[in-house]
Amino acid sequence: MNWTFMAQNLHFFVNAAYVTVFISFFGVVFSMLIGLVCAGLEVFRIPLLSQLARVYIELSRNTPLLVQLYFLYFGLPKLGVNWSAQTCAIVGLAFLGGSYMAEAMRGGFEAVPQVQIESARVLGFTRGQTLSRIVLPQALSSAIPGVVANIIFLIKESSVVSAIALADVMYVTKDLMGTSYDTYESLTLLIVTYLVILLPISVIGTVLERRFDYARR
Amino acid sequence: MTEGQTTANQPQDDQEEGAVLTVEHLVKQYPQAQSPVLNDISFQVPKGKVFVVLGPSGSGKSTLLRTIAGLEPIQGGRILLDGQEVETGHPLGKHSGGPGGLMSGSRSSDLRTRIGMVFQSYDLFPNRTVLDNVTLAPILVQKRKRDQARQEALELLDRVGLADRRDAWPSQLSGGQRQRVAICRALILHPEIMLFDEVTAALDPEMVREVLQVILELADQGLTMMIVTHEMAFARGIADHIVLLDGGVLVEQSDDPEAFFTHPATDRAQRFLSTFTYERRREQDQDQKS
Repeated sequence: MNWTFMAQNLHFFVNAAYVTVFISFFGVVFSMLIGLVCAGLEVFRIPLLSQLARVYIELSRNTPLLVQLYFLYFGLPKLGVNWSAQTCAIVGLAFLGGSYMAEAMRGGFEAVPQVQIESARVLGFTRGQTLSRIVLPQALSSAIPGVVANIIFLIKESSVVSAIALADVMYVTKDLMGTSYDTYESLTLLIVTYLVILLPISVIGTVLERRFDYARR
Repeated sequence: MTEGQTTANQPQDDQEEGAVLTVEHLVKQYPQAQSPVLNDISFQVPKGKVFVVLGPSGSGKSTLLRTIAGLEPIQGGRILLDGQEVETGHPLGKHSGGPGGLMSGSRSSDLRTRIGMVFQSYDLFPNRTVLDNVTLAPILVQKRKRDQARQEALELLDRVGLADRRDAWPSQLSGGQRQRVAICRALILHPEIMLFDEVTAALDPEMVREVLQVILELADQGLTMMIVTHEMAFARGIADHIVLLDGGVLVEQSDDPEAFFTHPATDRAQRFLSTFTYERRREQDQDQKS
């Protein structure tokens, strides 16, 4: 193991980690918003919009992220839309993640027993109050494990953005391997970088899961 | 009871005989069903009285309570609360609407708080503590002051023996405790009538007593209520009026529960009541042996 090489090039990974975290953060936030809206449309069977959500979910789930990124980065300019690599990466992650989040949150909504809604109704709650005070907290609580799994999945999946020349950790690694031939060291640094980003999220997820597990506390 | 509760349930002098709840020719039919679940049901629940509904499983008892609570649209007849019409039947097709619950029903918030209901399954909000479960509706729906709601909630919890569990989560309570909290949560809104839908059916036998005891005390305080139950001894002890529902039809109504249990008027009631007694035919066995 060439420790000197790793120490000398560490700063590349630190800088690239910012890129990975930046696009992942916005990708995750937008995908959660998209997911919540789509899940809501489906659960409350809003006519037309729920069918649209379904089409989006199937389109997004069943096409690879790489293809979606190529479409955004190389395809859209032909239609006159020129987005930066960063914008494409965030939009791509949100587009992919939205469907995964929608499915996780739909599961959460469906786990709320009907009698909870009925109790709220008998107590005089309006629909909005029932949704915000009773249904949403419980739905999100049971959706936490799935959502956390999706967040981790999306951050890992963000390695694909290196294909559209965005200097994330994967891109830097490929670059280093190409120029230095210190393949083993570069990949070790890459793995460590991902672990440093992801392990805390994993731990926070477990804590949140316990904190909001209303059935067992 | 608290001040508000007592006055809400005290019979007003000129309305001594007034019915809190009147159901006239109620018909309930689900879409795509061959026959109605409830057919031409009529009865009155007088103020301060306990109205018990008996019947075999699938006879429509729970559905009846759900229509009164506004959780199910009705297809015929009407429901009146204190003489005021709260629901009328609409034939299927036009106003049948979607499934019950969040997205259905037209009753106003205020109207819904006037009918309290406790369900068979534990229905406390798991994301709220015991105290919050009880105070949420008065604060949110009736816009009452937080302090005042908390104070009344604690008084109610104290009366069902659960004031010390005010900060517990529902998951930390036994089934019997949850049902007692659920009763407090309904009572704090000062409903004109309380509906109890087999509230002890999911409980262990030793917890049944603690819940039924609370309901008995409420009856003694003059709370108007409608009870669906399979606990025959309880029904016999608490009822002022008793009805037997079978196949969606009221087969027997009685103002004399004692007479109903000892000498039921109809053959159907006799058969229903006989399912709750167990007797060995010892003499016959011996005859066959000898």
